[in-house]
Amino acid sequence: MVLFLNQLINGLHVGSIYALIALGYTMVYGIVKLINFAHGDILMVGAYTAVVLVTMLDLPIPLVIVLVILICVLFGVLIERVAYKPLRSSPRISSLITAIGVSMLLQNSAQLIFSPTPKPYPIVLNVPPFKLAGLQMGFTTTLTILISIFLMIILQVFIAKTKLGKSMRAVSEDMEASKLMGVNVNNTITMTFAIGCALAGIGSVLYGLAYPSVSPSLGALPGLKAFIAAVLGGIGIIPGAMLGGFIMGIAESMTKAYISSQLSDAVVYGILIIVLLFKPSGLLGKRTREKV
Amino acid sequence: MLKVDNITVFYGAIQALKGISFHVDQGEIVTLIGANGAGKTSILQAISGIIPCKTGDINFLERNINKTPAHERVSMGLVQVPEGRRVFSRMTVLENLEMGAYARPASLKLDDDLERVFEHFPRLKERRKQHAGTLSGGEQQMLAIGRALMGRPKLMMMDEPSMGLSPILVQEIFSIIREINASGTTVLLVEQNAHMALSTANRAYVLETGNIVKEGSAKALLADDDVRKAYLGN
Amino acid sequence: MNKKAKAYVLNILALLILFFSLSILISSGVINNYFSGILVTIGIAVIMAASLNLTTGLLGQLALGHAGFMSVGAYVAAIITKSLSMDFSLSLPLALLAGGLAAALCGLLIGIPALRLKGDYLAIITLGFGEIIRVVIENMSITGGPGGLSRITRMSRAFSPEVKASSAVQYAIVFWIMVVIITSIFTLGRSRHGRAIISIRENEVAAEATGIPTTYYKLFAFTLAAFFAGIAGGLYAHQTGLLTAKTFGFSKSIEYLVMVVLGGMGSITGSIISAVVLVSLPEVLRGFSEWRLVIYSTLLIVMMLFRPKGLMGTREFSLLTAWDTADRHIKKVFKLEQRPTKMPFVPRYDVWENSLVLETKALGISFGGLKAAEDIDIRLMNNEIVGLIGPNGAGKTTVFNLLTGVYLPTQGDIILLGKSILGKQTHKITQDGIARTFQNIRLFKSMTVLENIKVAFHTRMQYSALSGIVRDSHYASEERGIDLRARELLKVFNMEDVADAKADGLPYGQQRKLEICRALACNPKVLLLDEPAAGMNPIETQELMQTIKTIRTRFSVAILLIEHDMRLVMGICERIYVLNYGRVIAQGNPESIRNNPEVVAAYLGTPDKVAPAPGGAEHVES
Repeated sequence: MVLFLNQLINGLHVGSIYALIALGYTMVYGIVKLINFAHGDILMVGAYTAVVLVTMLDLPIPLVIVLVILICVLFGVLIERVAYKPLRSSPRISSLITAIGVSMLLQNSAQLIFSPTPKPYPIVLNVPPFKLAGLQMGFTTTLTILISIFLMIILQVFIAKTKLGKSMRAVSEDMEASKLMGVNVNNTITMTFAIGCALAGIGSVLYGLAYPSVSPSLGALPGLKAFIAAVLGGIGIIPGAMLGGFIMGIAESMTKAYISSQLSDAVVYGILIIVLLFKPSGLLGKRTREKV
Repeated sequence: MLKVDNITVFYGAIQALKGISFHVDQGEIVTLIGANGAGKTSILQAISGIIPCKTGDINFLERNINKTPAHERVSMGLVQVPEGRRVFSRMTVLENLEMGAYARPASLKLDDDLERVFEHFPRLKERRKQHAGTLSGGEQQMLAIGRALMGRPKLMMMDEPSMGLSPILVQEIFSIIREINASGTTVLLVEQNAHMALSTANRAYVLETGNIVKEGSAKALLADDDVRKAYLGN
Repeated sequence: MNKKAKAYVLNILALLILFFSLSILISSGVINNYFSGILVTIGIAVIMAASLNLTTGLLGQLALGHAGFMSVGAYVAAIITKSLSMDFSLSLPLALLAGGLAAALCGLLIGIPALRLKGDYLAIITLGFGEIIRVVIENMSITGGPGGLSRITRMSRAFSPEVKASSAVQYAIVFWIMVVIITSIFTLGRSRHGRAIISIRENEVAAEATGIPTTYYKLFAFTLAAFFAGIAGGLYAHQTGLLTAKTFGFSKSIEYLVMVVLGGMGSITGSIISAVVLVSLPEVLRGFSEWRLVIYSTLLIVMMLFRPKGLMGTREFSLLTAWDTADRHIKKVFKLEQRPTKMPFVPRYDVWENSLVLETKALGISFGGLKAAEDIDIRLMNNEIVGLIGPNGAGKTTVFNLLTGVYLPTQGDIILLGKSILGKQTHKITQDGIARTFQNIRLFKSMTVLENIKVAFHTRMQYSALSGIVRDSHYASEERGIDLRARELLKVFNMEDVADAKADGLPYGQQRKLEICRALACNPKVLLLDEPAAGMNPIETQELMQTIKTIRTRFSVAILLIEHDMRLVMGICERIYVLNYGRVIAQGNPESIRNNPEVVAAYLGTPDKVAPAPGGAEHVES
């Protein structure tokens, strides 16, 4: 029982990181129908930024965290403006391939600049675990879960209540009609990328606290898993990304504990396939019937 | 209020508008009628800034707006009710109306405007918490018009408001258009239902494959044999 | 020798020259083992790209797990050559075939659930399956587990003690298999089966309504693509001699996807070119060692920004397209016997006068609690023109969707020519005799006018996919037959001069006519027209009325027509059904409908606002 609960908590831990990244995927997909394959690599950008800022510039940790978020946002906005915006009216597959190209470029540039040898993540939390209801709770784990949930709630409120949030919803639904309402579509799209990347930036810190090894391909696997999580929950739907992230995390940790470490990937994909077969638009996705 | 001067529009190599000039004065209802493919929607899209003009000038309230981006034209008071309604189906009626006021400064209170819209369209008041996607075609048209009104437009442009509506609803919509005009909004109306359009407007222009081929008072064009033959049938 | 035959001969010559020149260079050692290995890799990449193009370009479904099929083929083929003790030159073809079939089986098993999804979801699920294949292979002992399979017989060593000679044989094997596969994909794409597949990409709903069994063709294309990928995998295994499941992961699938997109989706020649370039490029850049991947990815981004449709778009290189017409002319030049044209069997006009064609009995459907249609009793006699009118949301299109099997009725029955068609799939209903047009025109946009019509003839043709690939006499005579028939049909509608124009280039009124023409090409007993006059001005509407009358006299078909345009309805319909809130509230001739107070109240407005009888003066509300 204790093992089960511990695994559950582990699952929530890694799941909340997946959820944070998945939010970026789902928001961007919702608004421009693009699968931003490069999003996972923003995680890597954030990690290396921390490495540089701490080891080379020796800046204080709180400042580093703020700068990491800013740099991730900057990268995201830059990529959007240079690589994705020009292709908005082209067939969607072209943007997909460009996103793949950007992902490759980020990974390979990092390899060139920092060498493939893994580096240690420079921020460490040295707080001892505490006991809660008889369970050992790691401080990092608790922090990660709480921060993620907090951010998700804020995001939901933001989307539902603020003017910018409403414009994001409007543009996701009908870009042209939004223009006719006076919405600055370009800015709205950029803001969406910015928010997604900010979340990924925070995610990179939380990830680095849990897995302290930084390498150029750091973002690839979590990125893919987060993307699957977004689809699982219903791509384009924000609560879906959160749900998907947690499910992925728990499934992964449970499989590693109870079945086998090697098969954890297969189980995760298997869950995705089963879900999609019964709910083709994802768990929270709405079935959009083509009007005949 | 609106002066369009010799605009041309191209979709790739195809020229959709071949040099269109017309004007709309304050307080009028002006209509553009023409066959499908004549270019009526292209004109509204060009004026709203959704598609660019290759040559020509568009002047609104004495300002040249050629380079003004689409969302800024809306804040100037140039609002379009697009073809096919295009309401935000996943948002509620109320949220749609609020989107209509998006371009207006945040400080202005919306309640008065909402009340006025609900006066024109009591059915919308009943359904204000419903998702716009669940409304019928006619109700969506009303919502689209109400949404445009929320922006306190100086010029309201409407793209085929009668499309897909039953004759009874068409009558209703057009009488509302007259009401809106009577309370001070200038209207530019693009219509396939030439009949209704010419009976409602003050002046009209007739479009044929990217050119304006006839203009005059709506009453005169209604009686004009050429126009009648081409657009009202024998 | 005429021009077309010349192109054909040039084609063959080019292939032979390419083959023999490189072959000689390899067997003499001028091209060393390393570079001949690159040529083989290119050949395999071409096969992978072309097969992926079948799914992604021709069928239009994004597939992200294609490398999974390659790995199945690779492992199966390797296991077979390792276990069989026969001579390699015998076991290799067996192994390749087995690998292909195993991959095809996987394609079928994956396709059945996956192809029910659409768009990005389909892509994700194929990604998931591809990864599952990888994980499963990594964890099976027969495949060597995570360590992989090694000491697989290599083609560059097995055929001769001399590496040069054996490499030449390897090259020959890969080259000719590649040629056969890409030619097959190309000719398949031009056959009726290819048309069916492309029509699904263009507009799946319309394809189904035109009689194409869409599920079958989606599976067919997907499985065939998997088959070819499996063969490519088998070749790969016997080139490298070593297999690890990790090589066939997501990144490999992406590699081939990039080739397809860069070359142009739907263009086989584009795939060939990009496969050649993308395999050679890293070699060329090898000198830049560390920078090469950065350069590669930058080039990829730049390429997409400046040519988003890929190098060739959907076009093919002209030499190969001459193949089509050259085929016909070669027979003339060499005076091969022309078999008499076999006309496709067109069972028309087998309905007798004034008979009941279609009948619905208390037809209805509820969505959740909402009764969209209830107690609908409609009868259609042969050669009638019947109208179906009603306010917006009354359920008119719902009735059409019920009649064509798009919706399954929750009550009642539909009887076509005496037999119930309840519960049948749309394409079967079309084959049985109900054809329709759509409110928003659904043409196969990037196909020509003629090709749009030809798709409708699909179900009445018989030649197999194999016939289409090898272009035998069945193919030739049937294609010639429907070409004539299709042009005949276009002539009735005065559209024979735009036969070769692209469908989306036509003006609106002609697009509508084409859609109606295509529906007629399905040889229906019942023609359902959904708001055919939408967006037309009075002159175009008059033309449409003429067209409909012509159809009635020339085609012996019953027409049911949904319309809002009262001029059209009153002017042309003999009987009218009026729908409101899902029920029939009135039926009768135009006069009686116009004066029926219930109808007037619900829909037409007060009497003086009703459209006048044709020829009368307009009443204008002042």
